[in-house]
Amino acid sequence: MFTGIKKWLEVRIGLDDLTRTQLTEYRVPKNVNIFATLGFVALAGYAIEVISGIFLLIYYTPHPDQAFRSVQDIMTRVPYGWLFRQIHIMGSYIMIAAVMLHMVTVFLMGNYKRPRELTWVVGGLMLLVTLTFGFSGYLLPWTQLSYWATTVVTSMPTAFPYVGDFIARLLRGGDYISGITLGRFFALHIAILPPIFLSLIALHIFLIRRIGISATPFGTSDEEKRPLTEYKKKTYPDGLPYYPYFFQKQMLMVMIYVAVMFFLITFMPTLFSPDEANTPANPLKTPFHIRPEWYLLAPYQMLKLIPNKFLGISIQIILVGIFLLWPFLDSQKEKNVFKRPVLRGVFIFLLALWGILMFWGRY
Amino acid sequence: MRYLFISLLVIFTFPSFAVGGYKEEFEREFMSKPWAGEQIEENACIGCHVSDKMEPKLKNIPQNWQMSIHYENNVSCHDCHGGDPKDPDMSMSRQRGFIGAPKYTEVPEFCGKCHVGILKNYLESGHGEALKKTAKGPNCVTCHGSHKDEQFIQKANIDIINEQRCTKCHSYERAMIMKQALFLTEKKIGELEDNFGRLKKEGVFTADDEKPLFRTHADFRALFHTVDVDLVKNQTDDFAKRLSIIEERVQKGFREVRFRQNFSGFLLFLFVGLAITVFLLGRRSE
Repeated sequence: MFTGIKKWLEVRIGLDDLTRTQLTEYRVPKNVNIFATLGFVALAGYAIEVISGIFLLIYYTPHPDQAFRSVQDIMTRVPYGWLFRQIHIMGSYIMIAAVMLHMVTVFLMGNYKRPRELTWVVGGLMLLVTLTFGFSGYLLPWTQLSYWATTVVTSMPTAFPYVGDFIARLLRGGDYISGITLGRFFALHIAILPPIFLSLIALHIFLIRRIGISATPFGTSDEEKRPLTEYKKKTYPDGLPYYPYFFQKQMLMVMIYVAVMFFLITFMPTLFSPDEANTPANPLKTPFHIRPEWYLLAPYQMLKLIPNKFLGISIQIILVGIFLLWPFLDSQKEKNVFKRPVLRGVFIFLLALWGILMFWGRY
Repeated sequence: MRYLFISLLVIFTFPSFAVGGYKEEFEREFMSKPWAGEQIEENACIGCHVSDKMEPKLKNIPQNWQMSIHYENNVSCHDCHGGDPKDPDMSMSRQRGFIGAPKYTEVPEFCGKCHVGILKNYLESGHGEALKKTAKGPNCVTCHGSHKDEQFIQKANIDIINEQRCTKCHSYERAMIMKQALFLTEKKIGELEDNFGRLKKEGVFTADDEKPLFRTHADFRALFHTVDVDLVKNQTDDFAKRLSIIEERVQKGFREVRFRQNFSGFLLFLFVGLAITVFLLGRRSE
């Protein structure tokens, strides 16, 4: 049966040739390290989110009167609904962590440098879309936490003169978070963002395959310092085959990723669920501690510390711009960050600052 | 490209400083009390009571109310005192149902608009009779407080019955016997409430099971307001039966939590096992 299907496909799409050119003859650099698998891990994380999200979509009702109840029903009445929801929640948090770690390692290995500027920009955009996924999904359970965290985040644009109120109203569909906001965020979460994200993934993978995997700058000499005058795909004829060598590494990391997710579900199921996450939204009662998700805590704390909100938000937009366009701003040819003390110092400082602001923002 | 970007950065930052104070007042507020603040300020009662024109003894009322069980349950000024909180000019109009503060003897009827069962039993009790006959007997606020001075209405609990409070009017002996009669049932109700809180935190939906507990608790509180020790003792068994049914549901909830933990623990080990297998396969093929 299996041989029959294989043969049927072989004569039609050239399955053997496809497998050979894309898997076994496709080679990766000999010194490729485990960090190069993080992009695949993030992709697997996204697939987990899609599958669990589709399951939740079957039972979820995007209406202010029923959203909270439907989520509670998923948690209690739907068989294994709690598992799918926990996978969706915990999966989203560690997926964002994986995406961030992926970008940090790409940055440290200088893999954003030419000719891979576009790959970096598309990856950066994917991170922003991922954060928007998280932000839009946060409101959907219609809890006190989600309602008020969304209230805080959607009131941020009001710091901008002239257009601020318009942006806030556009997001909310009115002056306050309401059923209209829930409808908009639901549409954003399940219908608008996924095709954008899928297009970016396709473009990202296309660029990786078209340009070729970047060699790790540590250890061996860097071969990519040639002048960029014409298109030349980076290949590694003496490298290791993608399948099974690198694929096994990727699968190992995916298994570890899923194990970490189940570790959190088993031993810390309420890590991201304070009491407000189990209380239905009440527009008339502001909880004492409103704070957004962990990955937005640092920018949130930064906004609290800068007395002028417009300036605070402007600085953040500028920082995002620098982050996205960094490959165009960094003109040095040296890829190895260990040979660039200033960049290394700035990077460590920013990482420490991020960590401090994140923990500060929690309290 | 770099120079263009730096120029844009400067151009963008400079006006940020220049127009930053444009909406300073609102900006200062928007992080701490975003939009709810505006909704609460729309409440004319609160707006007026917190203002400087209010006489000092009435100024703390909103603050005390915000610490009360009424606030926790979304019971606002107009729910008890009537009036229109959305219209400052008509907020205290009789046409809009404003009844203001009740007289001492009217307090039970005032609170009894919502606490119906308790009112009925209170009026038939020694406390209610005393108020009716002498106009000086204890009313609701004697034991539960109100929002005047530094008081706020707390969630009722058995500790309200104490020597200091009861001996203001009579000896403590009888009150102590009543407290003892209430103790076990109240303790059980408290435990169940805590357990529901724990289950809720674990992501188990408890609202449907909390309703019978709330009803049982309300019935028990209403019974207590008869201040009839014998009646409380006679009916304690019935309440124990009702509570044991709820207890079963709580235990079912905890069993569910344990199952979830075990099941996800199984999946954890499954994926750890798969990771080890993939790792060993990789080593072998290397």
